[in-house]
This record gives sequence, C-alpha cells and structure tokens, in this order.
Amino acid sequence: MERYSLGIEKLDKNINGIRGGSNIMIIGPPMSGKETIVNNIVYKGLKMGDAAVIVTTREPGENVVDWFNYNNLEIPLDHLGIVDCVTKTLGVPTSDTATIRRASSPVDLTGIGVKISQFLEEFWMKKNIRKTWLCINSLSTILMYSNIQTVFRFLHVFTGRVKASGAIGIYVVEDGMHDTQAVATLKQLFDGVIEIRQENDIYLIRTTGLNQKPSPWYEYTIEGAELVLKDGE
Amino acid sequence: MVETGIPKLDEYLNGGIPKGKSLIYFNHPGVEGDVFGMQTLYHNLVKGGTCVYVTSSSNPETLKDQFKEFGWNIRQFGERLLMVDGYSSLIGALSTENYVVSDPENIDSMTEMIDRAMKDVPKGSIIMVGSLSTIMDLCGEEKTLDAVKMWNKMAMVKEHVFIYNFTAWPYDESTLKSIKNEIFNCVISIGGIAERVIFGQYFGVLKADWSKVEVHSMLFRILRPGGIRIYIPKILVTGPFNAGKSSFIHSLSTRAVSVDRLGTTIALDHGHIDYKGFSADIFGTPGQERFDPIIRMISGEAMGIFLVVDSTLPKDFIRAKQMLEITKGYGLPYIIVANKQDLPGALSVDEIRNHFNIPEDVPIVSTVATSKKGIYEAFDILVEKITGGN
Repeated sequence: MERYSLGIEKLDKNINGIRGGSNIMIIGPPMSGKETIVNNIVYKGLKMGDAAVIVTTREPGENVVDWFNYNNLEIPLDHLGIVDCVTKTLGVPTSDTATIRRASSPVDLTGIGVKISQFLEEFWMKKNIRKTWLCINSLSTILMYSNIQTVFRFLHVFTGRVKASGAIGIYVVEDGMHDTQAVATLKQLFDGVIEIRQENDIYLIRTTGLNQKPSPWYEYTIEGAELVLKDGE
Repeated sequence: MVETGIPKLDEYLNGGIPKGKSLIYFNHPGVEGDVFGMQTLYHNLVKGGTCVYVTSSSNPETLKDQFKEFGWNIRQFGERLLMVDGYSSLIGALSTENYVVSDPENIDSMTEMIDRAMKDVPKGSIIMVGSLSTIMDLCGEEKTLDAVKMWNKMAMVKEHVFIYNFTAWPYDESTLKSIKNEIFNCVISIGGIAERVIFGQYFGVLKADWSKVEVHSMLFRILRPGGIRIYIPKILVTGPFNAGKSSFIHSLSTRAVSVDRLGTTIALDHGHIDYKGFSADIFGTPGQERFDPIIRMISGEAMGIFLVVDSTLPKDFIRAKQMLEITKGYGLPYIIVANKQDLPGALSVDEIRNHFNIPEDVPIVSTVATSKKGIYEAFDILVEKITGGN
C-alpha cells in the first residue's frame, strides 16, 4: 500500500507516514479551523499528484473551489472531485460539472455514495491515480439528518471502500455536538484521530492511533490559509 | 402487465410485472441503481400510465430535475404523476404537494399519505418508493417492513404495481434476508464489480414469483441522456483479408477508429455502438496471416464474434474457419456475416452454409457493409445470442 503524509511537518515527523487504506476522524470544537486544516491536507496531497474527493455538507461545491482560489492555492481541478450535498437543497436550478456532482440532500446517502464511488473509479481507472484522499466535511451535518445507526452503516461501507482502494479517509466531526456514546461508536470505524482542543485562547492539535503513542499536543494558529504549528508541549 | 422499461429485463420477467405485484430494485451501495426505478416510472408515464412517487431523501422539485439529467421531462405528465412528499417536513421546509407526510420519522404518517394517494389514482397504477432504505433509516427496520407488507396488500386489492428502490446498507442480516426472500414478489439485484474500486455494474433477477427465472446477469451502463443500456464490453470482428471488417465496424458504430496502412487494417479497429438499449465496444482484427499473433492478443475476453466473409470468395472460407480457431471463437456465440452481397457472383446464405459445414444454429446474415444493409440485423442477432435470448 502507498504511504501518505498530512503535509503538516511536525505531525508527519511524529507519525512517520500514514498507511494507505487508513480512515481518520478529525474532531474539534466549532471555529477551531478544522476546515482549513482539512483543506491544507488536501492541498498538499494534490500538490504531490494525489487525487481528492471532498464531500461538502455545509456549503455549495463552488465555495470549496473558491476557498482555494481565494487563498491563491493553485489546484489541479482534474484531480479533484466534489460531492455537493447542499446546492440541491437550496432549490436553485443547477447542474453537475466535471469537478462537482450534486447529491439531493445530506439525507440522500445513496446518492452521496454513488457519487463518491464514481469519482474513485474515475481517478483509479481513467486517470490512473493511485493515491486518493476522501474527505467528508462534515459527518456532523449528516448526523443531524440521520440517526447514528444509519450513519454507522454508511461509514461501514465507505471506510471499507477506502481500505480496499488504499486511499485515505478523513471525516470531520464537531466536538460537543454529539453525545460521547455516538462519537465512541463512530470511532470504532477509524484507524486514527486528529484531535483538536481549546484551552483559553490557545488551540492544540495532536494525532492518536496513527503511531504507537499519541503525538504530543502542538499549539497552532491559522494564519490566512496556513496552519502554523509551534513546538510540542 | 406493467413493463419495467429496462432493456432485457422485461424479457426475463416474461413481459413485465403483473398487476398487483411488487418489485424491489435491490442496490448495492455505491452502484447507481436509483436510475432503474426512475426509468421504470418514466417508461410507464410515457405509455399513458398514472404513477405515485414517494420521495424521502429529496424534495419533489429536485427529484423532477434529476429525471432531466437522463433527458426525461416528467413535468409534462401533470396530474398523472402524484408526489408523496416524505422529505420536506424532515428538514422543516414547506411543501407545495398535496400529499405531505407530516412526520417522516413515523411510519404511520407515511402509510396514511400513501394510502390516500393510492385511493386517488386509477386501478393498475404504479406506486414507486424512491428510497425504501431512507424510510427504514428514519422509521426503523422492523416497523417499516411491517408497513411495507401492508402497502403491498393494499396495492394488491387495487391492482397497483408497487416498485421500491432500496440500497442494501449493512442492515440486520434478518432484515436483508426477508427483503430478498419473503416480502416482495420480485427482486432485482443491482451490483458492482469491485476490486479496488467499482469498475463495472450489473443487474440480475434474483426472484420473480410469476415466472420461472433462470439466473441472468447483465452488465449495464448509464447514459446521460438515455438511461440504462446493456453493456457488452467486447465484441470481436474477425475474418479473412479484405472481407470488409473495417467497413462493417465503421457502418455499425456510433464512433470508430482504425489503425491501418493504405486502407488495410494492420493493428486493430475499434468502434462503439449505442443501439436499441445496448451499448457495446467492438474490436476488429486484421485479416492477414502475418498478423495472427495480434489477433490472439485482441481476441481475449470477447463475449461474441462476427466472422465477416466476402461472399464472392469461397476459397477464403477455410481461412475464415482458421481465424475462428485462432480467436478461440468456437466456444463463444458467433455469427457469420456474409458480406459483399451486392457483388456479382455472391453466394447465397445456403450456399455459404454448405461451404462452411457449420451447425444449423449458427446464423448467417447477408450484408452489404458499405451501404449498411443487414448490419443492424447482424448486431441484433449476435447480441440476442450473447444476452441469452433464444
């Protein structure tokens, strides 16, 4: 299996690469910059020639592309697939593009699943790309519309697909939005967690499960579109 | 009978679904199975039927737009298409539909609306559940299946045909078992060929209690616009030098390319055809003996063979039979394309059969590839043999 790196130097050094087929949850409080972190990981991956599928449940697909443009991060659009679960719920007439395919709603797990599979097939079979990131941003929105068993079943299938295709799955979860039991249930499906916590005005990040020991907590700041880590505790 | 409108499927089901019966499209996750239900619905609306669509994972307007991707305008059918809106209340949106499920997480609320809609449509209508899995997710597996049994009974009395789309997420073993074996009159399985990714899709009849089912599985593709097409990944066209193989492929194909030199194929021809619900890739071999190693390479994994011969040149028929051996075509469905029938001295089909000494059941079709005469007939016959028709 291929090995991947997060593109976050200090964490990468600590975990020494991630095995292809791993599924990782990123969990942290609201407004802690999870999205920027995920976009950074995707951006670094794309730069290395990987492909990425982003499932967006909170904002239209176009906004995801705009984020990269706005921050002057040039991305190869033919390596990017976006599954947009928002636009169709807004009642705006719309159609799919080569990069953006739209599911009916965050409830439409069947449709989301089909579109993920289509992108994975396209990258693997047609474009011959062997490394792909699948990012679901966020599981929390999906959990607002469907119960935990339903989401678990959905993830059971797709974490399996990630394993089979040697990709990396990243799943964003809002801390504090779900009961601890729900989070614990979901954690069973993941190989590792990127944890974010807030102490007073300071944000800290670490990984668990991706190496024998959890990484140290690193203080970080978001500067523009950059994630900047300070030295570990 | 209500037709499914899916190529080949109605044939496998002995003409379609009898009134009062239920059918479920049992989709494996990640496979685009929803289109089956949509195609069935559209097919019947076009034929003048009345349909009820129960939506549970998208609002009715979004759903109507989804049909448009396939070139199907379902807004034109007006009151012949009723919507039961089991989605809007879930997200707290207003609905403009007449049948709105007030509490999509309560199966009784769903039953109430389905029952009302069923009473408002004429006998023999189609009731289509857009996503049974979503309803199960919202209302619970057991409760939903109990309700489904009741809906099927209600439909039977009214002679409606009930059609369900269902995504087989990893539910309870017992739930999946009863869906596959007990609750529905007919189960169509729609799956993916997966290795590291899903790279092919197929469907097959698991059960149909009104007809004797021999297990068939068909590869399919989805065209936008167009909908479901049976997909045949490889049909081989072979035959002696200058028999008209390339002309045959170019005449038949929607698009085609040849690798040739001075008009003679030296590597291969490739064509793609979309015709009458079928989508096929066609590969042509060169004819000259010095290319025999290439022929072997090209012919692997073919599903059927057109053996093209020049009807005026019986001396080449031995070479033709030899080529069939090289391609290992004897085990596959094949037909003989008796080409150049417009030229003087062309042998008749019977004469060619005598020369070839082949079994009676190998069809010989006379063609003039350059003017497309007989080529679609040849395609129909071979595809029928490949897809297990009579």
